[in-house]
Amino acid sequence: MSHTPKIVLFQCQYCLASSADQEWVENSLPENVKLVKVPCSGRISPLFIMNAFQKGADGVLVSGCMPEKCHYITSNLGARRQLDEFKKFLVFLGLEPARFEFLWMNIDERGVIQNELDAFTSNVKQLGPNKKFNTMKDEIIGQYHG
Amino acid sequence: MDDFSQVRKEAARILSEKIVDMVIGFKQGTIPLKSQPMFITSQEDTDKLILDGFCQNNLAVFLHDQPKDKRIGIICRACESRAVRALVIEHQVNRENLYLIGVPCMGILDWKKIQDAADGPVTNAQESGDQILLEIGDKKQVLIRNEFIVDSCRGCGHREPIDVDIQIGEISPIEMNADNLPQTWGESFKSKSADERFQLFTEETERCIRCYACREACPMCYCTECFVDHIAPRWSESMVTPGGTQAWHIIRAFHQTGRCVECGACERACPMDIKMVYLTDKLNDDMKKEYGFEVGENEEKQPPFATITLDDKNRFKY
Repeated sequence: MSHTPKIVLFQCQYCLASSADQEWVENSLPENVKLVKVPCSGRISPLFIMNAFQKGADGVLVSGCMPEKCHYITSNLGARRQLDEFKKFLVFLGLEPARFEFLWMNIDERGVIQNELDAFTSNVKQLGPNKKFNTMKDEIIGQYHG
Repeated sequence: MDDFSQVRKEAARILSEKIVDMVIGFKQGTIPLKSQPMFITSQEDTDKLILDGFCQNNLAVFLHDQPKDKRIGIICRACESRAVRALVIEHQVNRENLYLIGVPCMGILDWKKIQDAADGPVTNAQESGDQILLEIGDKKQVLIRNEFIVDSCRGCGHREPIDVDIQIGEISPIEMNADNLPQTWGESFKSKSADERFQLFTEETERCIRCYACREACPMCYCTECFVDHIAPRWSESMVTPGGTQAWHIIRAFHQTGRCVECGACERACPMDIKMVYLTDKLNDDMKKEYGFEVGENEEKQPPFATITLDDKNRFKY
């Protein structure tokens, strides 16, 4: 298997309490992972996830804070309801469930995101390249935009 | 409905007594099989009011274009009354300024299907009991009404108008869900495998010409600027490409989560016959399963996505 999955990581900027973890996410992510840092998981619109898949992501990982730990007090609760339902909806339309996962981080923990990202990447790798919803990938979109 | 004169009388009464400034209802369309919405401001016009299975629109869609302080009377089937309640919950209309005349609904008929089943171009169509009487030039044809009810009306669980000011006519106990009919699109979609589901979804959305008729017909789509009309930043692909149409259908449905009143007006408005109701149905089913929320059942409860509660703590896995 030579395929390296393209991963998009949406990360709430407050979800990693340890500066070492945050440093790692910002500077030493594997090359196949693209980081989108957001002020809060409540900022993530389902449209962002949709765009990530359409532009060729093989997997999308959302990392936010667990309840009661949100910097903005309750914003993550709204995000959890929306994104969880959005995952169910994409699965209903044929997406493999393992391609879209959540990490609701406890800010007391250290070094979790590295392991979770590894596990997620290997899960996505097993599924192979994403063939669904990827209609705006460069090589595909060329047919429509000349 | 046999005694529709009562509804006309009531509409005339509320206009003459200045209870409302305008009544929204349906009138006979200029072509057969299509009744059209009508805005009445004078008492004499109330004679033109009708209600039959060819009334495709959800009249509540016209409410949020009107000034909030305008007093409006509206002929309400169950879907319209539920839409009005949902709009009231979202503060889009003032309930005090509305006068709802509740009427029973017998299910909306699919005019495209009737036209296909007819032997030629239909020149006149009428409903009579459980039959549809068609005139095709000089010839006559009789169709069974139950077979032509649109998918979204089959097995409808909300046939009683809610929260109306006056109810005219009784809900007839006629069962609209005939067992001998083929599965609806939504039911067959659910039973397919993931790859087949994606294939079907792709085939459906490929036909989309992005006219946004579904958006305009929807009573719950009232944003002054839709996400697809936004230019800077461009949130999603706005062209007629597979990517653009897929994103439109997914996000349009998703914005309706826990808000869609399941009237099916979007599907009936679609010029390309694209199925859409199965998407919002799935989302509404989930809302019912997860949060016990049903649109229009409660006067105060906000939709689940507008509710933030710490009870969610253990709802999703970590």
